Amino acid sequence: MEADERGETMNRPDHNTYREWLHLDADGELPRDQKARLETHLAACAECRREREELAVLDGLLERSRIPVRPDFRSSVVAALPATGWESRHPRNWRFPAAVLVLLGGLAAAFGISGSPGKTPSALEALFAVGGMFRAAALAGALNASWKGLTMVFGEMLDSPVNVGVFGIFVLCLNLLLISLLRRRKPAPSPAQSEIVLRTTSADGDGDSTRP
Amino acid sequence: MTRGAEQPTDEDLVAAVLRGDRDRFGDLVDRYQGRLVNYLFRLLRNADDAHDLAQEVLVKVYQVLDRYDPQYKFSTWLFRVAQNAAIDQIRRRRLKLVSLRQDDEEGGEGRDWDLPSPERGPYGELRNQERGDAIQQAIDALPWEYRELILLRHFGDLPYEEIARMKQMPLGTVKNKLFRGRQMLKEKLGDFLSD
Repeated sequence: MEADERGETMNRPDHNTYREWLHLDADGELPRDQKARLETHLAACAECRREREELAVLDGLLERSRIPVRPDFRSSVVAALPATGWESRHPRNWRFPAAVLVLLGGLAAAFGISGSPGKTPSALEALFAVGGMFRAAALAGALNASWKGLTMVFGEMLDSPVNVGVFGIFVLCLNLLLISLLRRRKPAPSPAQSEIVLRTTSADGDGDSTRP
Repeated sequence: MTRGAEQPTDEDLVAAVLRGDRDRFGDLVDRYQGRLVNYLFRLLRNADDAHDLAQEVLVKVYQVLDRYDPQYKFSTWLFRVAQNAAIDQIRRRRLKLVSLRQDDEEGGEGRDWDLPSPERGPYGELRNQERGDAIQQAIDALPWEYRELILLRHFGDLPYEEIARMKQMPLGTVKNKLFRGRQMLKEKLGDFLSD
């Protein structure tokens, strides 16, 4: 081995290892302790010193081969950024769904109270009423393919005109809540954006190229 | 957010953009434009194409910035998107080239990366012609597995660890391939190294 020829002991890196370290050192990736050992080796090895010089020249060549970036590059990128996009949905505005939820709760409580004439409900009863309201709505959803099921639900729940009205508003609010949660506004595509969409879809379909 | 005289990290800037501070994306552009354009230039061999694609990549990244996972480096993500976009463009170019050339006598997998001769734009005039051509030829002559790492290291300025993560390679493999790739470059550019 070359390392042996240079009189290095077996527990020291051989010459090829030092050459590899030279590359790591040039990239700033060599740990400090190894760097110290490399410097010691370099003091005694002309071949490695030459290799280091060549690496520095190569690095300089590649560095000097860089092209300048157009002065207006930043401004052209910023100008090409779409006017809308994830900005329209992030951060998601929770105020509207929260307001609808509160309204829903109030309506459900009112519905429960109106279904219990002559009696002031406790907080627990109001809570049960709200739960019953959601359960009924879920049941209606599950049975919405069946008129018989719907009739059963409505027959049980809607025994007065007031209840019918409250239940109608309740269902309306529930729909508003669902719409606000599911809504994803589509931005109007800018010309640059349209170009990207075209380019992305015209590629050979190897999946999402933007995945991290 | 990093405070004081320290530069904000990429992740800080991304977070600021996501909070609605659109100008911070311009800071990210400033930070990466040189590396990105030069990385793409070495792949596409054309300065105008490199600029156009770099812009597309940055806009694409902005559009899906909310998908960015901060556990990864922003640069890793950016260069992965850039590499995918460049590969797509090279394939499209190659398709065009093949359709134009009836006498297609090429073969072999390595030919995927044979492209038309580089065009000379206004940016080409700024380079030393002979040396620039020699460097490009030396890079082009590298097998792809070495070339991609050399480009990521020397033009993307990515550290070994990020390259390893991006290419899903062990760190030792990255070191080894960069070492061997540079040895090949040195052989090809021997005349210029002894100047």
